[in-house]
Amino acid sequence: MKKQLTLAIAAAAASVSFSAVAVQAEPTEIELWHYFDASADAKAIVDWVEEYNTLQDDIHITATYVSRDELMNQYTVGALSGELPDIGMVDSPDMASYISLGVFEDITDELEAWGELGSFYEGPLSSCMDPDGRIYGLPQNSNCLALACNLDALEAAGYDHMPTSLAELQEMAAATTDPDTQTFGFAMCCISTEEGTFQILPWLRGTQDGAEAVNVDNLTADSAVKGLTALADMINNGYMSKECINWTQADAFNQFAAGKAAMAEVGTWHLAQTDAIDGFNYGFCLLPTGDEGTSSSTIGGENFGVCSGAENKEACVAFLEWLCSQEKEGEWGVTAGKIPTRSDSTSEYDYEQEGFAVFTDEMNYAYARGPHAEWPSISEAIYSATQSVFVDGVAPADALAKAMETISPIVEETPLP
Amino acid sequence: MKTKNASARRENDGYLFIIPAFIYMLVVLGYPLVYNLILSFKNVDVKNLTKGGSVFIGFENYINLFHDSTFLLVLRNTFIFTIACLVFQFTIGFAFAMFFNQKFKLSGPIRGMILVSYMMPMSVTGLLGKNIFSNAGLINDLLGKIGIQGPEWLVTGSTALIAVVIMNCWVGIPFNMLLLMSGLTSISQDVYESASIDGANWGQKFLHITLPLMRGSIMAVLMLGFIYTFRAFDLMYIMTAGGPLNATDVLGTYSYVRSFTQFKFSEGAAVAMVLFACLFIIGLFYLRMLAKEDD
Repeated sequence: MKKQLTLAIAAAAASVSFSAVAVQAEPTEIELWHYFDASADAKAIVDWVEEYNTLQDDIHITATYVSRDELMNQYTVGALSGELPDIGMVDSPDMASYISLGVFEDITDELEAWGELGSFYEGPLSSCMDPDGRIYGLPQNSNCLALACNLDALEAAGYDHMPTSLAELQEMAAATTDPDTQTFGFAMCCISTEEGTFQILPWLRGTQDGAEAVNVDNLTADSAVKGLTALADMINNGYMSKECINWTQADAFNQFAAGKAAMAEVGTWHLAQTDAIDGFNYGFCLLPTGDEGTSSSTIGGENFGVCSGAENKEACVAFLEWLCSQEKEGEWGVTAGKIPTRSDSTSEYDYEQEGFAVFTDEMNYAYARGPHAEWPSISEAIYSATQSVFVDGVAPADALAKAMETISPIVEETPLP
Repeated sequence: MKTKNASARRENDGYLFIIPAFIYMLVVLGYPLVYNLILSFKNVDVKNLTKGGSVFIGFENYINLFHDSTFLLVLRNTFIFTIACLVFQFTIGFAFAMFFNQKFKLSGPIRGMILVSYMMPMSVTGLLGKNIFSNAGLINDLLGKIGIQGPEWLVTGSTALIAVVIMNCWVGIPFNMLLLMSGLTSISQDVYESASIDGANWGQKFLHITLPLMRGSIMAVLMLGFIYTFRAFDLMYIMTAGGPLNATDVLGTYSYVRSFTQFKFSEGAAVAMVLFACLFIIGLFYLRMLAKEDD
């Protein structure tokens, strides 16, 4: 009898557990690929995905790191083979090209139903659109460029403030250059990749002698020529190392952090890396690219899109909406040293607050690159023109005229927005 | 008659054995090659890769390439880089192989240490090169110590190409040494002893024994070296990104940038086909030479 009772209880327990398993549906599996590799954001994306997975039971996200170059190659190959993740990260100026390649899915209807698109800044959101205004993703973070200054070096050269115009920047760069110690007045990245174009553009788009700033479809304008001439003068006078043509943005920041450059063009994300600065007082100011009190900068940042062929488009969009929600946008800015892409998000930075204030202000003067499906060709024309001035001594006006020979037909066929 | 039939059947059976290798070659080599060739005759770019609308444009991509001064510079760079690397890594590698073929104390450990550079990933070699050839890097520091003002290696086109050649040789020398040493060890010592008895000096032994008996190894090393060096990619990509102003761009990097950065897929495919054609000609030359040796 006792044995029969035990068997009955065991059978009942088994049937209960079986039905429990049968009722609980498996969560939808979503594969997310990213290229966050700085310590702060690489950790944050993993933590956030875990947080999202614990917040609900319907969707399970797996975040995989793929190096940036490799990820871009995978998108290109995947556009043909269909082997794409469900959600993919992309640098904002590249998104237009990948939309054109068919890598991302049109999620306009889902996002409009969400009702929060109006909260996003126009520039970052436009980088997720095709020429018809259809939306393929959401901008997750923004950044821009400003000037980092070694205040001790400036003070030693007799300055108690940071530069406020291009002319003053040149003057200060001259005063802080010391050939004996191989210390340069100014450092920036002019490498022959998109990174180079990102840093070169503010100098071509500055306000000179009261003239309006120009876009990349008019680089033969006087203001653009003057901007490039100013950089060329700093190279020729030895205030800036010619090696900038091989420096990545990380290299340029490292020159500044090691005290080898008194001033440097740096990005918002470098604020989270200021512990690398080697024992001197530093500060940040608007990038002085032209007339007194004016500035221009470039908008950078990363977008996340739902890849074509994703089986669970709704689940992917639901995650993107959570990732780019008002609250999470604010949190990401603090965690990763970036600027939110939504006007209703506030990042309460608990470090480098003054620096963040400068970058937030700089966003008012920052221009987006493109968006244009053929931006990579436009970008190549810009960094090649700059390198020809720095390396071969080509006159800035001639170099920019040559760049326009490439750019003009592209923008005539499909104008910039 | 019966013998003839049996012989023909055996021959037919033999073909069956090459079917797996043939299928492998067809799928892994043939398909991408034909696909790439077709792509190079079309106008596929970012606008029509997936949306369709690309058309055959014949040899236009090739004609444009050979009228493009950048491509001609890239082609020139590729040959200069390959030939310079081959000359230096083969000569120094051969000298090392001869040296380490002598039996002396610590020969093994030193040889092992030289091989470290060969075992290092090319991306690491590229980063090392970027640092040691920077203006304030190791090379200029050493030159400064002996009173020589070092050049701006990676900023000027000609010196940047020299710098990448040096870094590639740093990797290629141990590879050459290793292969040539295996050739040297296969030469019987008796031959050298006989030559010594006949009164041959070191130079005569080298010219009339070592070089002729090493001919096969030397050709194999040069051929492999040419193929590996001609399709170089990661060293330039990491060390100079092909700059300054394409001065260190080679066919491998140029094709990659055309296809995967600029999304001009057909142009990139045409560059890749030029690269393939060059290697194919060298390969044919090698096969012909092997066939002659067999005869």
